[in-house]
Amino acid sequence: MTRLHVVAPTRAPGRAVLPDFVTDVRPRAVEPEHRAVGRAAELGGLDGVLVPFDPGGHDPLVLAAAVLRDTRHVQVAAEFHPAIATPVYAAKLSASLQRYTGGRLAWRLAVDLAPDVARAHGDFLDGPARYARADEFLTIAKGVWGERPYTFEGEHFQVLDGGFPGSRVPRPFPRVYLSGTSPEALALSAKHADAHLIGPDDDPGLVPDGVDAALRLRADVQDETALAEEIRRRAEAGIAEFFVEPAATPGTAYWLAQRVLPLLRKETEGVG
Amino acid sequence: MSVDIYWRIAMEGDAPALRLGDITRGGFGPYLPGALGPGLRGGAPDGYGPVDYMGEVARATERSGFVGGLMPSFPETDDPWAAAAALAGETTAYRFMIAFQPGFLHPVQAARMSASLQAATGGRVVYNIISGGGGPQQLWWGDKVAHDDRYARTSEFLDVLKGVWDGPFDHEGRFYRVESAALPPELRGQPFPEIFFSGSSPAAIAAAGRHADYYLSWLEPFDALAAKFALVREHSDTPPKFAVRVDVLARETEEEAWEEVRAGWARLGDAQRTPDASESVGWQRGRAFTAGAGDDFRDLEVQPNVWGGFNRLRPGPLFGLVGDYHQVAARLDELIDLGVDAFILAGVPHLEEAQRVGRHVLPLLKGKIA
Repeated sequence: MTRLHVVAPTRAPGRAVLPDFVTDVRPRAVEPEHRAVGRAAELGGLDGVLVPFDPGGHDPLVLAAAVLRDTRHVQVAAEFHPAIATPVYAAKLSASLQRYTGGRLAWRLAVDLAPDVARAHGDFLDGPARYARADEFLTIAKGVWGERPYTFEGEHFQVLDGGFPGSRVPRPFPRVYLSGTSPEALALSAKHADAHLIGPDDDPGLVPDGVDAALRLRADVQDETALAEEIRRRAEAGIAEFFVEPAATPGTAYWLAQRVLPLLRKETEGVG
Repeated sequence: MSVDIYWRIAMEGDAPALRLGDITRGGFGPYLPGALGPGLRGGAPDGYGPVDYMGEVARATERSGFVGGLMPSFPETDDPWAAAAALAGETTAYRFMIAFQPGFLHPVQAARMSASLQAATGGRVVYNIISGGGGPQQLWWGDKVAHDDRYARTSEFLDVLKGVWDGPFDHEGRFYRVESAALPPELRGQPFPEIFFSGSSPAAIAAAGRHADYYLSWLEPFDALAAKFALVREHSDTPPKFAVRVDVLARETEEEAWEEVRAGWARLGDAQRTPDASESVGWQRGRAFTAGAGDDFRDLEVQPNVWGGFNRLRPGPLFGLVGDYHQVAARLDELIDLGVDAFILAGVPHLEEAQRVGRHVLPLLKGKIA
């Protein structure tokens, strides 16, 4: 089944300038419209919301938690890089979000940040070593999640006699999305990814066996027939998931839900 | 001067009564009859979870006269950042006091998450900075930095966090390095979270003198607490304010309050009456105050209404107040007189006890006598 995701906004929207004589009581927008987009995706039956890492925007984990709390069905993927926290801590924070939301959090790991962005976030590692660190990060995160006691002594991270307490609330490990076309990136995906994200010009044949192929797709022009046609064509070529860019407004999310989705799926009759 | 009174939120799950102990609201344990968050409906999990009950506690806390809640962080709890981010939209005045250890998060990430939460809550984030008890728990978290070094790291962490908050910021230190680090324009200019700083060791007290808005201590016998505050004042150019974390078991009569303790004590086995040791200096201090106490639960009452056995009845610190509403209020007044500017109170179950303390104890407070 083709899965359709929207990308959540990470910056507060600009707002219209009202004429002077119109009474204006609008609160200052200090937050992106991520919650409205998430609720639109939820109401519209889309499969998920991706909250991207935007150096100029709000934090994806904070935004993702709000979207998860507002919804019951959609997957919410938060993008972050492996230097934000120890893998134990990233896993612990995520385990709580899983317990809170029926296991709907996903991880989109950003491994190869632009060098200046990385350094501004305290990360001075570069080159293929970043993939080795990401491997350790995911190995430890999965390890403490699933085993107790768990010990791992890595080059970048370590844990001794770790492991999370059991939980009667279902707490699956987040679905892992990775990307990249280098040999290191593809090897990392083969080992750890549930899905590998590619761009429109990348060869889907790069995606390792056993890993779902996911595609970033632009839909700048609101032509539902063309978009549905492209999705159908790409799905036949083996793409399982689609992330529609750029970041959605609530309007785009409803458009995807009500204009594009029906072209892809046979609607069940007699709803309601 | 006003006193900020917080109420703890149970990140490890909550029991329906202190005397019962079984965690049946949220939490991690197996399903027990009557459990909720999640509960069963028609034999199947009802789809709710720990955060649904926590949201109820936050709302009850906010309505009962408290300024917000401490969200503690231990291996056996849920995570405070996750909880605060999930519940940010569900209260209007409640301040989220997020407990965290600087070693686990990068300071730039802490700055970004905090500023995003400030935007989501209108500036209601408060920090409880812990530098760790040491020993097995630190290794559990994947942290190998030694005890005294952790306070040096905490200091550097807060320097970087504040630098980024007011960025752009360059830094090359012992633990952290950043280049042109800054918050995005739309996250700049928000209030920096107040810092409640915990730690009883000399290294902690030295670091608190530099960074704390509030020096936060567990409750101890009052003279020991006064001495600790004096030590912090001595080590600070500008002394911080003082906060105490106090469990309260207040009832209409003293007998009712102690009966709750007695019933809780009666359910414990011998092993549970002797809790595990910790490297935490605060923990060791607490143990020392009750060393040599007899087997009866009342032997742990080290001064009137100050009882040192709470750790046996629920996870957490040793000391709390037990008594009737007036006694508990009088002890809190004594603490205010001793220099306490903020409280973090707690009771089990956190929801009903927040309402009880808000209705029956807080109105009796008289404040500073001077």
